[in-house]
Amino acid sequence: MTGTFRINRRHALAGMGAAALSTSWRPLWAQSVAPITIVINQSPWFESFRRTVEQYEAETGNRVELDVNPFAGSLEKQRNSVRAASGQYDILIMNSGWFTEMYAGGFVTPITDIDPSFQLDPEVYTLGDTVYYNAEKRTVTADGKLMSIPVSPLIPMLYYRGDLYAEAGLQAPKTFAELEENARRFHEPPRRYGIVQRGARGPHTVAYDFYPYLYGHGGGIFRDQSSGDYTVTLNSPEGREALEYYIRLAREAGHPKTAAMDQAEVIQAMVTDNTAHIMMVIAAWSQMDDPNKSAVVDKVEWAPPPSLPGLPTAPGLGHWLAGIAHNVPDDRKRAAVEFLRWFQTKEAQLVTAEAGGIPVHAAVYREPIAEERRYRWMKPLAEALPHAVNIYQFPEASEVIAVLELGLNRAIAGEITAVDALNGMADEIHAIMAKHQYNTGQIERL
Amino acid sequence: MSTASVVTQTAEQAASQRSVTPLGDDRLWRWLTFSPALALMLVLSVLPLANLFVSSFQDITWSGGASTRSFVGLSHYAALGSDALFHAGIRNTFIFAFCAVAGQMILGLGLAVLCSRVTRGRVIYRAVFILPILIPGIVIGAIWKLLLNYDFGLINQGLALLSIAPHDWLGSSETALLSVIVVDIWHWTPFCFLLFLAGLESLPQDIFEAAKVDGASSWQEFRLITLPLMVPTIVVTFAFRLVLAFKVFDEVYLLTSGGPGTATEVVSFTLYQRFFTEDRIGYGSAISVAVIFIVSLLLVMAISARRRLGSTS
Repeated sequence: MTGTFRINRRHALAGMGAAALSTSWRPLWAQSVAPITIVINQSPWFESFRRTVEQYEAETGNRVELDVNPFAGSLEKQRNSVRAASGQYDILIMNSGWFTEMYAGGFVTPITDIDPSFQLDPEVYTLGDTVYYNAEKRTVTADGKLMSIPVSPLIPMLYYRGDLYAEAGLQAPKTFAELEENARRFHEPPRRYGIVQRGARGPHTVAYDFYPYLYGHGGGIFRDQSSGDYTVTLNSPEGREALEYYIRLAREAGHPKTAAMDQAEVIQAMVTDNTAHIMMVIAAWSQMDDPNKSAVVDKVEWAPPPSLPGLPTAPGLGHWLAGIAHNVPDDRKRAAVEFLRWFQTKEAQLVTAEAGGIPVHAAVYREPIAEERRYRWMKPLAEALPHAVNIYQFPEASEVIAVLELGLNRAIAGEITAVDALNGMADEIHAIMAKHQYNTGQIERL
Repeated sequence: MSTASVVTQTAEQAASQRSVTPLGDDRLWRWLTFSPALALMLVLSVLPLANLFVSSFQDITWSGGASTRSFVGLSHYAALGSDALFHAGIRNTFIFAFCAVAGQMILGLGLAVLCSRVTRGRVIYRAVFILPILIPGIVIGAIWKLLLNYDFGLINQGLALLSIAPHDWLGSSETALLSVIVVDIWHWTPFCFLLFLAGLESLPQDIFEAAKVDGASSWQEFRLITLPLMVPTIVVTFAFRLVLAFKVFDEVYLLTSGGPGTATEVVSFTLYQRFFTEDRIGYGSAISVAVIFIVSLLLVMAISARRRLGSTS
């Protein structure tokens, strides 16, 4: 039996409509949207971000421009753009040192104000809830609006020479005493230093590297920022112990020019087999196993930063967040949301990890990739991340960082004692917080 | 009619034609034609300075994406008195400027005198001497950062050959500023050399010939003829270099970032720190005004010194 199949005009129209719908359906993040521009810094993890963006462009056909700058230059470009009547950049890649400045200044539009249906993937690290901002309380707490998506969950980690440790039958140090003992053991200057630390002044240099020591000793800069208590506690006995330890380590088991060491030189010391330990932001991991750059391929291992017995590891957050500028057209804001919606998926974060970046999605750390030798830093990082400390919750952080950079550098250079440095820095930080009318005070001087 | 009266008449006619312009008298016309240039100068130089000056009496805060300016009187200027970083910056800038410029003047003059006496291969010497001034600042930073590197710098490697222990040139408080001064001398001596060479070549040769006839030695010739005649050039070069040295930033930024501690903190770096890094626009403006004042003062002193020395010589 043969039947006849007749198509009338109504069927034809319905069929064309269905075909059009089926071919144009794409996931929300894959909708064709306006081109966007992202302002970003040139960091060790930038290459992984660039490759992730390329993947987004390949999958969606959307276009993304990257404006790449040095650390301080990126901040200046962001300030100039968001303070103009019309912004040049749609997405701002903000560092832990300045994201609150952008939130509090009203320079970043809450993501859920652009798209109320947007939901942060529950497996994405919120990194001390720094992706939220409560404008009324002027602080970063989970009861605020969603302002950004984490881009790189950077914290410092202890890099140590696994081969030397294996030869000596040692385990990764968990306490500062163990780290000091092991650093002294491997200290054979000038061939190899026990540890190389960063001590140079910079936009956020020596202070950032000092945080794990400070918080790992039970110290801190303020009493309790979340509750609005900005009493300066930097010059506590714990702070003193931390700074004296940092200096002792530098002088007795470290590099003679610690006070002038910047990040590139510290990394260089590790990859040139010139040191047994460094405490460095995890973003530098890929350089350790790069045969074109490293003389210690496959010899470096990672561990959470040490702490005092009984205290948890306490690396300071030096992470990067992506926020959407307030002064760009609505279509570009929506396009930026689509990029962020895609970027936070596990699949996108796997691309980031494979490209040498640090994923912000917890599920990636449970994937088979985390078992591979090349990604041996993942498990220690996943162990340390929950203990990461958000150092600053207020927009004037850059003023406090400048005080710390100078004071710590002077102490490490031997210009002033640790006690004088801590007392002096505490006075200056207190003056800054008082000037900006925070609830502040000081503890008894050392 | 005599030729003289014709000339006078023609001049009067021309004068009357000039004053009879469509816009009235000659003075108005001149002002009108001059005013675009004046307006441009006001917009490009005076207004920014005026804005800077006004900002130095204000605090600028941001909220809701908009700025709020609040008048704070002289408080920013008062704060300069207790800003340890600013004090260190001013002190180091003076040390840096005077030491670096003195070195450049001595070396530049010496090289210029030597070069002016060379007859063969003069062009080659000049090209070699002016090479550092042609190199971009960022490259100079890279060159000297490598030379002065503690671990693998050429200078420490040279010392090692002489069995001398390596030294941390840029990381030690004792030698960091000296190292930056040496780099600046290396960079800017060619500038002084060029100006001095031009000055030497414009000196009247008959005086030198007369001195030779009178049996003057080379040293006497230099001390009693060259140096006095070169005083105006020396003073102008000194003033130029002093003002430029006072504004030093790139060498410090690239080599030491003001450290260790405040050993190489210069006032431009303090300004960068306060204005840009810390985003304290009002206070940064006050530092800027103070720096402009100091540089202007130096310039006035140099000009008056030139007048005094010029009239003496």
